[in-house]
Amino acid sequence: MIARYPLLLAAGLALAGSLAHAGPTDDLARTCNGCHGLNGVSAGPNMPSIGGLPETYLKNLLLQWKKGERYAATMDRHVKGYSDDELAALAAYFSKLPWVPVVQKADDKTLAAGKAATERCETCHGATGGEPDDAETPRLNGQWAGYMELELLKYRTEAANMPHKKMRNNARKLDEADVGQAARYYAAQPK
Amino acid sequence: MSHFNRRAFIKAAIAAAPASACLTLPGTARAGRKAAVVVVGGGFGGATAAKYLKLMDPALDVTLVERQKTYTSCPLSNEVISGHGRIEDLQAGYDGLKKRGVNVIFDDATGIDAARKTVSLKGGKTLNYDALVLSPGIDFNYAGVAGYSEELANTSHPHAWKAGPQTLALKKKLEGMQDGQTFVLTVPPGPFRCPPGPYERASQVASYFKHHGLNKSKVIIADANDSFSKKGLFEQAWKLQYPGMIEWIAGAAGGKVVKFDARTNTASSDFNDFKGDVVNVIPPHHAGAIARNAGLTNDKGWCPVDMLTMESTIQKDIWVVGDACVHGDLPVYAAPKSAHSAATQAKVAAGAIIAKLNGLPAPEPFFVNTCYSITAPDWGFSVVHIYRVQGGKLVYIKEAGGISPVNIEDPAQLRLQRKLESEYATGWLKNIMADAFA
Repeated sequence: MIARYPLLLAAGLALAGSLAHAGPTDDLARTCNGCHGLNGVSAGPNMPSIGGLPETYLKNLLLQWKKGERYAATMDRHVKGYSDDELAALAAYFSKLPWVPVVQKADDKTLAAGKAATERCETCHGATGGEPDDAETPRLNGQWAGYMELELLKYRTEAANMPHKKMRNNARKLDEADVGQAARYYAAQPK
Repeated sequence: MSHFNRRAFIKAAIAAAPASACLTLPGTARAGRKAAVVVVGGGFGGATAAKYLKLMDPALDVTLVERQKTYTSCPLSNEVISGHGRIEDLQAGYDGLKKRGVNVIFDDATGIDAARKTVSLKGGKTLNYDALVLSPGIDFNYAGVAGYSEELANTSHPHAWKAGPQTLALKKKLEGMQDGQTFVLTVPPGPFRCPPGPYERASQVASYFKHHGLNKSKVIIADANDSFSKKGLFEQAWKLQYPGMIEWIAGAAGGKVVKFDARTNTASSDFNDFKGDVVNVIPPHHAGAIARNAGLTNDKGWCPVDMLTMESTIQKDIWVVGDACVHGDLPVYAAPKSAHSAATQAKVAAGAIIAKLNGLPAPEPFFVNTCYSITAPDWGFSVVHIYRVQGGKLVYIKEAGGISPVNIEDPAQLRLQRKLESEYATGWLKNIMADAFA
């Protein structure tokens, strides 16, 4: 049945897509661009790209910040201005955009050290950070190195009490010198 | 992908609007001509407006008029004065907007004829508009400090309150200072561009002193006001980083400078004389001249606007965004005159203009401001403002926003918080520049 009307189906989807993109969520999402870039692709160097990250991951972050269950330096003061439904709609909106890796070149030595340091990260994030194993885990390939380094710093600071135990423990197992190399390794991955 | 589809916009707006709105849909094309939007001023407000107008409705004819070929960001320009930043990193041109289909004219807009809906340019051209966005920023009221002048600002005594050559001139003056000498900074009565700016500048000057062994030098802030933005955060930082180096004199304590003597380098209030080795007078300001000349300002020199759309309440079909306008949840929570305020106002204006050109009600507006300040390497903090419509009125959302936490018990957590926000400040600049100019 579906195969018989490919054009109709495609047209229907395109229309639904446009309408979904032209409502209050578009207007609200436009305000996010100031820090996270057009289509959620950040211009760097320590603000994360958010377009194309998993919906569940984004929604968890936004709601946890709002409820005070997750430490943020700035974002917690933003999300408190919006309803849970609006935050969920933003998560859905950004998750539907394509993930555009911003590949940041690194030298071979850094890449080798970063690869070795991130072995413990592979199970959840994938070998190059491009294949997270579930919807609650972010992609890391082509994410901004400066941002990832600061996130690791959060997980490594006991007082920040970041929520994900496994992530907390693994981040703390990294040698101080490996933190930057791990971040630059993922930042350099196109896929 | 997020390119705004006008047909979809119209459909969605009709779905949301009362039935009667459907009957008055003139469409953007007026008698075969594309609707023309002129944007005057290519700073954060104007550049963002031009870009988003084109993104949201590619059929619009958008023209940006700007005097200078290179824009220099005021945010983070205090870090250039202290040597922690480079001015090149704060600059952008207009090729990004041209590539997006914006007509960019480098000229000076000299007049507005609201009846004929035209803007005249110094170069002789006249531009017709269906909608006009004014983002002229600020101009200075030199008469507010007797003895100070535009000529002094451009020669021996830069105010450096518009980033560019004066930023570098003030940096040079700072670099000529000897240990034990005094830097006097005078702050005009509010509202002024960048509410935390003067205190950030004082911090950066102190940072320069500390890093160059000028340990006996001092910064005196002679302030026309009795409090200031992020006061608790600044005072905490000063105590930790520059103990005894920065002195703040409130307006009530005689800090309001009303005259300046360039010969003796003395700024004076009605009660005190502030003699410095470098005196940085920031004169009072008001909306850019073109807004005043077009009669769009109130008795205080700023442009009143409809809080929900940014359209001038004095003249229809003209939208005023950025430092020139008065916006927010007045009178208590005015939106700060900041780059981020200007950028979100510009996006709201773009949506409201497209709706009006199509005979539709304006979409619900969302306004955000984030403003980072850096007092020393690895030490930054912010203030966040969120404004939304509630019961038809724009209100400051008290449950959100506010300043970074001041007192944090755990020293490691305090360091982390300040380090993160000092880094985010540069990430914010990079992105807000790209969002306006790329």
